[in-house]
Amino acid sequence: MDGDSSTTDASQLGITGEYMASSHYVLQPQEDDGDENLNDHEDGSSKENYREQDIYLPIANVARIMKNAVPQTGKIAKDAKECVQECVSEFISFITSELYLQKFREAMKGEKGMAGVTVGEGLSEDLSEDSFTNPLPAGIITADGQQQNVMVYTTSYQQIPTVQQIQFS
Amino acid sequence: CCKDDQASGSKKPISLPISRVRLIMKSSPDVSSINQDALFLTTKATELFVQHLALSSFNNGSGKETNSLSYSDLANTAQETETFHFLTDILPKKILAQDYLNSLEQMQEEEGADY
Repeated sequence: MDGDSSTTDASQLGITGEYMASSHYVLQPQEDDGDENLNDHEDGSSKENYREQDIYLPIANVARIMKNAVPQTGKIAKDAKECVQECVSEFISFITSELYLQKFREAMKGEKGMAGVTVGEGLSEDLSEDSFTNPLPAGIITADGQQQNVMVYTTSYQQIPTVQQIQFS
Repeated sequence: CCKDDQASGSKKPISLPISRVRLIMKSSPDVSSINQDALFLTTKATELFVQHLALSSFNNGSGKETNSLSYSDLANTAQETETFHFLTDILPKKILAQDYLNSLEQMQEEEGADY
């Protein structure tokens, strides 16, 4: 390692070892690392440390999707792959989270008659977004290849009585 | 089931493990059950998300000359593109440790040692 004026001792800097790249020290802002052991997610057991989403999708799958998306890349940095892995978990949690569902319910508040259609359109719009090149067509939203109506999943404490089915137009 | 196919989407509808996606979704508080089709939809959306993030970061970054995608491309894109603002906490820009230690010293001098 280079640099006699800089330290490689992770504990001294208060950062987790895995963020150290070869010749370039990186630092992640951390609020409370005093009592909690940040390296616990290596054994996968304690998920409560400082992020709930220590569960990731396999990096090979993620890397493959990235590679296919940007075919002109000869190289994707390893830490880029790892962080997209984390972003993916964050994305899934974000979609699932109460925050998203809350905004969603606000958007369809008062649309009781046509709630099914509104939710469906809203969902596909939110997920397709302007910048996605391929908006999600209804035809592929099934597990078995059959075109089906999709039900909104609800949180445990509040059912949405008017929304039982989504029909994608 | 085979995971060795090189084709990106023509043979299989999705290329991410659904069971793992479900696991992540269930780690959200207050989620009890997840409808199968919604799960599928989320998995598909996640794939699109990865593509979108990778492509945006690549186009936004300096890698076009070098044909590479780096962490800082991603971090910059997260900060600059509104769609990806929700990622700014987990995509912090990296600074050299020496710079951090220097600014830490400065902050301590400013705050004094009262506390």
